[in-house]
Amino acid sequence: MTTADLAVPTTTRFRLRQISVVEWLALVVVALLVVAVIAPGLLTSYDPLAPDPAAILQSPSAAHPFGTDYLGRDLLSRVVHGTVRTMVGSAVAVVIGLGLGTVLGLVAAYFGGLVDAVISRIVDVLLSIPGLLLSMVVVVALGFGALNAAIAVGVSSVAVFTRLMRSETLTVTGLPFVEASHHLGGTRRQVLIRHVFPNSYSAVLSLTALQFGLAILWISSLSFLGYGAPPPEPEWGLLVAEGREYVVSSPWLVVIPGLAITVSVLSISRVSQFVKERVL
Amino acid sequence: MSRRAFVARRIAQAVLVIWLSYTLVFAVLFVLPGNPIRDKITNPLNPLPESVVRPLIEYYDLDLTLVEQYLVTLGRTFTGDLGYSLVSGIPVTELLAQGLSETLALAALALLFSVLLALGIALTAVFFPVAAVRSVVRALPAVFLSTPSFLVGFVLLVVFSFQLGWVSSIRDQGLVSYVLPALTLAIAVNAPIAQVLIQGLSRARGEPFVTVLKAKGVPPATIAGRHILKNGSIPALTLTALTVGDLLAGATIVETIFNRTGIGLITEQAVREQDTPVVMAIVVLVSTLFVVINLFTDLVYPVIDPRISLRAAAAPRRVRRRVAIG
Repeated sequence: MTTADLAVPTTTRFRLRQISVVEWLALVVVALLVVAVIAPGLLTSYDPLAPDPAAILQSPSAAHPFGTDYLGRDLLSRVVHGTVRTMVGSAVAVVIGLGLGTVLGLVAAYFGGLVDAVISRIVDVLLSIPGLLLSMVVVVALGFGALNAAIAVGVSSVAVFTRLMRSETLTVTGLPFVEASHHLGGTRRQVLIRHVFPNSYSAVLSLTALQFGLAILWISSLSFLGYGAPPPEPEWGLLVAEGREYVVSSPWLVVIPGLAITVSVLSISRVSQFVKERVL
Repeated sequence: MSRRAFVARRIAQAVLVIWLSYTLVFAVLFVLPGNPIRDKITNPLNPLPESVVRPLIEYYDLDLTLVEQYLVTLGRTFTGDLGYSLVSGIPVTELLAQGLSETLALAALALLFSVLLALGIALTAVFFPVAAVRSVVRALPAVFLSTPSFLVGFVLLVVFSFQLGWVSSIRDQGLVSYVLPALTLAIAVNAPIAQVLIQGLSRARGEPFVTVLKAKGVPPATIAGRHILKNGSIPALTLTALTVGDLLAGATIVETIFNRTGIGLITEQAVREQDTPVVMAIVVLVSTLFVVINLFTDLVYPVIDPRISLRAAAAPRRVRRRVAIG
């Protein structure tokens, strides 16, 4: 899990004083997200799917800090248990985008010529369609469901990764040490994998953190529209969609899952920025 | 390169991208195992009357090979025939025409709001005298980018329609009814513009000509409003032109929330019903708009900024669509 890797080294290797309040908050949120993914039972004792006819549409209280929904299900529990779905979905999306994008970008930049022209035109085309719309096209082709939504978002982000990887690779291929490696007898493939790839990858990694946040937003938008995880899954976007029927009387059903998305995306990008600046 | 050759080359490139995007969407939607269109048309759950089913199957020539189907569809697209909805049997052009004016009005107002918001945020973030306010406002675009537009939409709806009762959520009140959806859309798309504008203004402020202006005794407000803004806003201008695609994609969610029957709602329904011809038409339409606007900005660039020569503009300038949440 990427979030777990990000959260671990920061506190041990740096003086705590250097960390600002905002960064502390972001770290706490990311830590909570990790706990919610690994052991949701630690944060809430309610079953996210168990209805309670005695507690329907209750406003936030001590017993139900986030209130309850139209079936009496505890919203805190649903948000906490929904974390793993959102995070896994975004991770799948980013792995697809990163994997395909890296290979395509590397190949385009290294082989150049016709290969580069073809890949670059495909990237141009993909970029001319807004990401959300493109992922909807893929959803129409694949059908609905949590995994399909994640794949759709992943495919839609391939172009961004390809473009960055291509430009980074082009920069590195022009450096003297690559020429030296060739003269020392390295084959094209060896040089590409052993030298060019590791040296052009740091920018792509920081884009990955950004895309992870965007993937959370896109996937929740797709499930909000009903193309993602089916009910009664506690996916965050779906929670908002289910809550919209009761938005007048019980606005927390919409606002709390929505804020969960905002706070998570903000915190993850803040922590990744922090890791990039101070650790790497 | 002469101007004429440059323009011709860019137009050829644009046409190529539009054609490729048409082909790509066709490939994704039509080249599937089985026969999704026939299955969809003849699906017992599909409310189409029998009288429409037969002509539709004939229209889509499903017995031809895929390449032949592609050529037939492409040819029809050139003559303005975008096919028929597989769910209602209505011609796609008619369906889109119904929603187009609604969505264009929404997108235009949202674009206006985006520009105003981005300008307000950037000017405050760069020039406001109190440092604390500057840093708070500077963080706003990141917050906007991280907020799903359905959250913004519902909060606006609850506060202004249900609590304050300023705007009816059901009745159509003309222009007033567009304000909340447009604001929701604007909050979703203005952040990248604001970020680029903040960078541009900060950079322009450090340039030597500002020192010269100060030394000449030009008032600070004039320096900021006339000189720094003019010099620092050009990248943001390009980006603004490119947000049109995002406005149309964002309309899907906004029109769903506010129950407005535009292209966005049509998209949402078409995806839900897997109505491939409608989805395809909308995607190609948005892609075409994006490419045409991009082409237009490229051609107009040297007019807006005389420092950019045609030679520099002729180099393939990759469309920038990167945003930063941090």
